Amino acid sequence: MGLIQVATETVSSPVASVTLTGIDSSDVYMVAINNFIPVNNDVSAYMRITKSGTADSTSNYDSAYKYLKSHTSFANSGDANEDKINFGNIGTGTSEGVNSIINLYNFNSSSEYSYATQEDTTLNSSAQHQGKQGGFVHTVASASDGLYFYMASGNIASGTFTLYKQVGS
Amino acid sequence: MSEYGYLPDSANIEQSFGNNKGILTPKDIYDLTRADKYTNYGQLELIETQTVSSAQNVDFTSLGNYNVHLLTVNNHTFPAGSQDYGIRFFENGVLETASVYQYAIQQCGIGGSYFEAKSTGANHIRIDNTGSEQWIQNWYCYFYNLSDSSKYSFTTSHKVPERINTSGNYNSSGTYIEFGSGVLKQASVVDGIRIYNSTKTANAGTLSLYGIRYS
Repeated sequence: MGLIQVATETVSSPVASVTLTGIDSSDVYMVAINNFIPVNNDVSAYMRITKSGTADSTSNYDSAYKYLKSHTSFANSGDANEDKINFGNIGTGTSEGVNSIINLYNFNSSSEYSYATQEDTTLNSSAQHQGKQGGFVHTVASASDGLYFYMASGNIASGTFTLYKQVGS
Repeated sequence: MSEYGYLPDSANIEQSFGNNKGILTPKDIYDLTRADKYTNYGQLELIETQTVSSAQNVDFTSLGNYNVHLLTVNNHTFPAGSQDYGIRFFENGVLETASVYQYAIQQCGIGGSYFEAKSTGANHIRIDNTGSEQWIQNWYCYFYNLSDSSKYSFTTSHKVPERINTSGNYNSSGTYIEFGSGVLKQASVVDGIRIYNSTKTANAGTLSLYGIRYS
């Protein structure tokens, strides 16, 4: 497997959102996220897919995750017909943000749903380590060209978001 | 002439990844690559592969400057006996062995049993442990923020092992496919990774560390 960078954005001063686009082939794509951190403390970090560069806010996101918590029992989540994907609540303390690898499947297909697998490692807004592994599907058979990241309230303070095409996979 | 390429000084051209200009000499390309300014697609960059024939620990001490690393471990084989297996970090060249690591691992048993393995005060980020058996370990791990002195260092991992009992037979009921994450919860520059075994010496294995450029 090789990686070709398609789009990247590094947030060093607050912005409302980050959009990565450029998915234009049937290859598997990968997104690397590190230090996705909010301006406001204890807010949810969200993600949507983009259609022709615009975030899709329709209630067509189905997801299932295992929450892996160092400090307490693990948890399961399964949600259908949501209007976004929720990374969970993060904060403004040191490293209270999201680090993640997301693999994207069928995004460029106009006749298939858009699928993703996801593995996160974060500190939540209480500085507790929490991992999350699972995936989501956007149940609309139309082409998607990227991802859109934002906060439940306030801006994104920092983060590096990079979209790669996987080649040879 | 401009610093790089056949361009006039007056052009004041700034070279950057994805935006190189002018006709570049081999030396320009070499210098720009070292400066991280040359457009060279293929951003999964092999840092080092180590092939193990007799080693208790495997250290990677040249990590380069990446936000995200990927480690792949293939057929890392240990003899029978009580042993812990996981990840430790070097901070500024010093191995961190204190109980400052945290992890949360979902164990998915081939025999049908599922367990949570977790700690907020471990001396390594766990990958596996056993009281008596042999292992063949296959897994990958992503590392985040290792070189950032202001951030904690995180991992996510996924493992498919083979466990062999004391009779030399595959122990399916004792084999767990595992996925999870970990953190060294202290802000520091991590400049080395140790794949750690508490007691046993591996007799085989191929471990490759990659940097994900521009991540």
